[in-house]
Amino acid sequence: MTPPDALPDPLPPPDPDRRSLLRAAGASLALATAAGCDVGPQEFGSPLYAPARGADAASAGLRRYATVLDLDGLGRGVLVRARDGHAIKIEGNPRHPASLGATDVFLESAVLALHDPARSRRLRRYGRVERDAALFARYMAEQRAALAATGGQGFRLLTGPIASPTQRRLIAALLAQWPGARWHVHAPLADAAAAAGARLAFGEAVTPLPDLSRATTVLCLGADPLGPGPAQLAQARGWAEARARGRQAGRLPALIVAESTPSLTGAKADRLLVLPPWEIEALARAVAAELGVAAAEGATHPEAAALAASLRAAGAEACVLAGRGQAVAVHALAHAINATLGAEIPCIADPNAAEAGTLEELSDAVAAGQVTHLLVLDANPVFDAPAPLDMAALLRAVPHSLHAGGQVDETALACGWHLPLRHPLECFGDSRAFDGTAALRQPATMPLVEAARAPEELLGALAGLPGDGLALVQETWRGVWGEAFAENWLVALEAGVIADSATPPQVLPLRADFALPSATPQPSTPVALFAPDPNLWDGRFATEAWLQELPRPLGNLAWGNAVLMAPADARAAGVAEGAVVELRLGGQTLRAPVLVVPGQAPGVVTLPLGGGRRAAGGVPGAVGIDAYRLRPAASPWLAEGLQIRATGAEAWAERGAEHALAGDTPRVRRLAPDQAVPPLPPPRSLYPDWTYPGHAWGMAIDLDTCIGCNACVVACQAENNTPVVGPEESARGRAMHWLRVDRVVTGTAEAPQVDYQPVPCMHCEKAPCEVVCPVNATVHDHEGLNLMVYPRCIGTRTCSNNCPYKVRKFNWAGYARQADAVPVRNPEVPLRPRGVIEKCTYCQHRIKGAQDVARQEGRALRDGEITTACQAACPTRAIHFGDINDPDSDVSRAKSQGRNYALLGNLDTRPRTTYLAKLVG
Amino acid sequence: MSGAEFTTRPVSDPPLREDFGWRFAGAVAGAGLLTLLLAYAVVALLIEGTALWGTNIPFVWGFDLINYVWWIGIANAASLFAVVLVLRRHGLRTAVNRFAEAAALAAVAAAAIYPILHLGRPWLFYWTFPYPATYQVWPNFRSTLVWDFWGIMSHVVVTGLFWYTGLIPDLATMRDRAVARSRMVQARIYGVAALGWRGSVRHWARHQAAYRLVAAMVLPMLVSAQTIVALEFATTLVPEWHQARLPLHVVATGIPSGLGVVLALAALLRGGLGLTRYIDDDDMRLLAKLTAAAALACGYLYAEALLVAVLEDATTRQAIAARAFGAYAGLYWGGALLVVVVPQLLWLKRAQIQARWAVPIGIGAAAGVWLDRFSLVAGGLLRDHLPNPAPLYVPTVPEWTLLAGTIGLFALLMLGFARFVPVVSMYETRHEESEADVP
Repeated sequence: MTPPDALPDPLPPPDPDRRSLLRAAGASLALATAAGCDVGPQEFGSPLYAPARGADAASAGLRRYATVLDLDGLGRGVLVRARDGHAIKIEGNPRHPASLGATDVFLESAVLALHDPARSRRLRRYGRVERDAALFARYMAEQRAALAATGGQGFRLLTGPIASPTQRRLIAALLAQWPGARWHVHAPLADAAAAAGARLAFGEAVTPLPDLSRATTVLCLGADPLGPGPAQLAQARGWAEARARGRQAGRLPALIVAESTPSLTGAKADRLLVLPPWEIEALARAVAAELGVAAAEGATHPEAAALAASLRAAGAEACVLAGRGQAVAVHALAHAINATLGAEIPCIADPNAAEAGTLEELSDAVAAGQVTHLLVLDANPVFDAPAPLDMAALLRAVPHSLHAGGQVDETALACGWHLPLRHPLECFGDSRAFDGTAALRQPATMPLVEAARAPEELLGALAGLPGDGLALVQETWRGVWGEAFAENWLVALEAGVIADSATPPQVLPLRADFALPSATPQPSTPVALFAPDPNLWDGRFATEAWLQELPRPLGNLAWGNAVLMAPADARAAGVAEGAVVELRLGGQTLRAPVLVVPGQAPGVVTLPLGGGRRAAGGVPGAVGIDAYRLRPAASPWLAEGLQIRATGAEAWAERGAEHALAGDTPRVRRLAPDQAVPPLPPPRSLYPDWTYPGHAWGMAIDLDTCIGCNACVVACQAENNTPVVGPEESARGRAMHWLRVDRVVTGTAEAPQVDYQPVPCMHCEKAPCEVVCPVNATVHDHEGLNLMVYPRCIGTRTCSNNCPYKVRKFNWAGYARQADAVPVRNPEVPLRPRGVIEKCTYCQHRIKGAQDVARQEGRALRDGEITTACQAACPTRAIHFGDINDPDSDVSRAKSQGRNYALLGNLDTRPRTTYLAKLVG
Repeated sequence: MSGAEFTTRPVSDPPLREDFGWRFAGAVAGAGLLTLLLAYAVVALLIEGTALWGTNIPFVWGFDLINYVWWIGIANAASLFAVVLVLRRHGLRTAVNRFAEAAALAAVAAAAIYPILHLGRPWLFYWTFPYPATYQVWPNFRSTLVWDFWGIMSHVVVTGLFWYTGLIPDLATMRDRAVARSRMVQARIYGVAALGWRGSVRHWARHQAAYRLVAAMVLPMLVSAQTIVALEFATTLVPEWHQARLPLHVVATGIPSGLGVVLALAALLRGGLGLTRYIDDDDMRLLAKLTAAAALACGYLYAEALLVAVLEDATTRQAIAARAFGAYAGLYWGGALLVVVVPQLLWLKRAQIQARWAVPIGIGAAAGVWLDRFSLVAGGLLRDHLPNPAPLYVPTVPEWTLLAGTIGLFALLMLGFARFVPVVSMYETRHEESEADVP
């Protein structure tokens, strides 16, 4: 038994306002500088060390730390760029299997969450700030003593999904210490059907680990492997590799997608079937029947024969994936088809799988009066649990409740006590990736919130285990490595990944007695389909201004979400895009704006989860709709009995179209593998051509591999201090993104062809913007960059008028310096004042930085040494950047392909940024 | 009418009158209040920035450019009108020249505010001047905005000179009459402004030469100034703007608007200051017919725009269609109605003379051109090379405030003109009368 004060004393809380936060940050900076940049202040106990191998030591004060950030409990390795002790930018860790050097929007925004002024900073009692830290320590001691006396009877731990070895070890220790205690896991986006399907097929609840890089035909049954999620980066990379090989071989791999609501995977599909969920199941059965899966015998579907034929042709190189929200039978059939085809999809046990109860069981236990103590660790059930459970009332029924979390969220306000948690970038820990690969989490900055504790420390203190977070993590790995700990520890920290720690995958045979549950009857339409929000995920990212302002892949929506309806359904309900409808489901009602999307299955209304947070830190008010309020506990993904009523209100007026316009050369070109883009007529100009004796920077964006994930957009925003303008200004069309991803829809409403096209500055050779600026504020540099001279700009905006690509953004207000501006800034890029135009610079500071390093080392620049922020983030490596004067550079090789073309090439602006046409088989 | 009866006193008396009556005081108070509003709008803009406006990407220009182009159009048309009359020694010039020139000058003053205020950083407007800066950075002479700077500077200078040169003999008359009334302060001010005019034959000869020379200078420049404004649009890659016809359209539609304002002012002055004798019915008829004819010419341009669209490439055709039938279609057709159709009423004899007809039609023509400019600046962007899902441009209260403010400034300047200088050229009236006396 540990002494009652085992939980470290939180320091007295600092003054709440923002200024003092900045003062605190300034003080941390001063401390860091005094300590020589790489060692944090000792009172926080977390020295910063072990920069990643290959970190550019040449630039003083700049460090990269390899660490890991979790999504849904599964880790993705990152390199954190820190300047003078401050984490300023997240980049992917090439060695980590769940990152492979790329990032997604959630990873990119982690630095913003770290620096969020609205982070939880103080202890709270019933939602109110409690300044007496000793009171909390006393309370904890008393309760621990009381629980120790009863063997933890009545103690419940509620967490999100946890794969971290250390956290699991501590929870196990806690449960061992208190036999009466129980652990419950609440994962709003977990899908029990996947495990049930695997059990049906293999007898074990395993997760498939498809290697899309070797698949030549992929059938997605509602699966979205290219969409956001813990394995997105690896799967997207795999798909892109298969695609690249297919391009070279002249035989493109086939991606066949059957989906009910548009997804990123659906946009890349070579064949897209828009089907409601019950028809997807029917299709899965019919395809299985065609391929000889005995259990599915007799099922038919008009599309099945063709799909079965292509799967059969691919044989062992086929891969069938079932997605979130699909019926158990679909998951089971996906496994069965793979097994029948001999596709040998490796499977592992879900790293998140745990011997833990569910939220419903916790709810029942509370109702039965069995729970006296509840610790909610880094979860927000009051917001993201199905509404019928009424978590707020549940928490009120528990005599002693403690919420530990990084934000003062809905659950923090509903619990008796709230303890701020450290951000993952501030503390030691570890995690497992989707494939089981373990990685160490290390602080990349000094802790910015004094009162905050690491989750490991809290669990350790409860379990009576001594030591801080570092000691607890080391203890875990000392147990794994034994004698080799000393040598392995630093290696693992530096690499950001623990070598050979992936769970060994196994290929399981189909159960001999494989049988399917009876087919799901067709429900009465419309049905509600619940889906995670592409920007807010389950709602935990609602506090990130970058993600709120990021236009969603669908409908260009920022600062708010909408329900998705098929054009036919919208017509039937008598609503147009932007109209507000009232949705009624299971006695709950919700008013929500409508987005009419081609590619949505008729009869299916998609309700995005994660919006409408009532307590989301600094983000003002409730942004968007909260679909959790309609979500039934029994069927969390698909609910029958949805009623839709038009209200006559309008959320936004009709906006300009995102569709391609008739009469233009298609902006996204499509080619057969053996075709080439026809060359443009020779350019003419009154002005002499520029000459570039040295370097000439250029970019090529491969539209065949771009999946429209938006990672580049957030990476650009983080790198270039692009300001957040807020919901009002964003609605006025003043968002500042230097890089945008345009969604180009062609085809019909039932069979849309969706393309994503990232549009940065084109750095035109004959830049129309340069000619019209009256004061020479936008000029051509000696390496061909089209640059803005901010101090010279007087803000006529005429350059934006003359830019056919509309990539120039104007500081209508002093966004970067206003009081609620985003608190994280890259010191290498200036903040732009009010009244000037800004735009993509090809990350000119990175170019100059690399040139400086090369010059100091007395060598020429190497190709690939300079990566732009967007390029580094891209999971499919669709962005190529480099010196087009060098014929052997990556970008020159990309541009020399026959599918290279300029956007609006007919205007003869001669863009440096070109596109590689999409290939169609 | 005989020479003995004829006098220019009704023209020269008002500036020397002590009191102008409560109506005038009320008008000055109203215009002054609006001008104060302008001051407020400008200060608010300088403090808050252009975020106050409804502009965005791609609608980067809004009321700033719409009102600028509109005011310049009024100024140019009014000057053009005055110049043509002077050069052709038209009888009407005596009647309306003076205030046509004054209206031009006041409109230029109202217009000149916008190019400065529309900047993101207005305090740096002087960077468009070619001055020897320390870093030897010069303006970009390829930029139409720099051309426009020269255009508007020349316009201010030449319009000012034109107005002032024509005023000199009358200022001398004012000086003499002020002396006669022993109003020595006014006499001194008028005297200085009259540049020592003594009315010698040599003075008259020089004056006439100078006046006609300045008028000749104004003529080509007015066309070029309007054209340069139009080139700010026509030289861009925006499909609807990028048309060779645009300068002609902007110059031509400016004419009925300027004439309309002059017509309205003439009708008001005639009634308000009792100058029926000096701005007689024939003058009004001529002015009205000119306005109606200019409007008819604009009708041809509107028709041509739509007809030519058929021959254009698909992008331009869609852009023209988007402007004429898209979200801002009301502005386009409203403009066509007020500029082309309504002024045709001025062919009616009654409408030509009566203020209650002439004033609304004249102001309506000006308003129509304003709608046309709005349709050009905002509606012209509806169809760009790439689709842009941005909200449409809608002017905000600060923008309306700014417009109201510049109208107040224009009115205040015109009222000041009516108060302090003779509104009709006295020497030309005398000249005309004496010519009429010659048997």
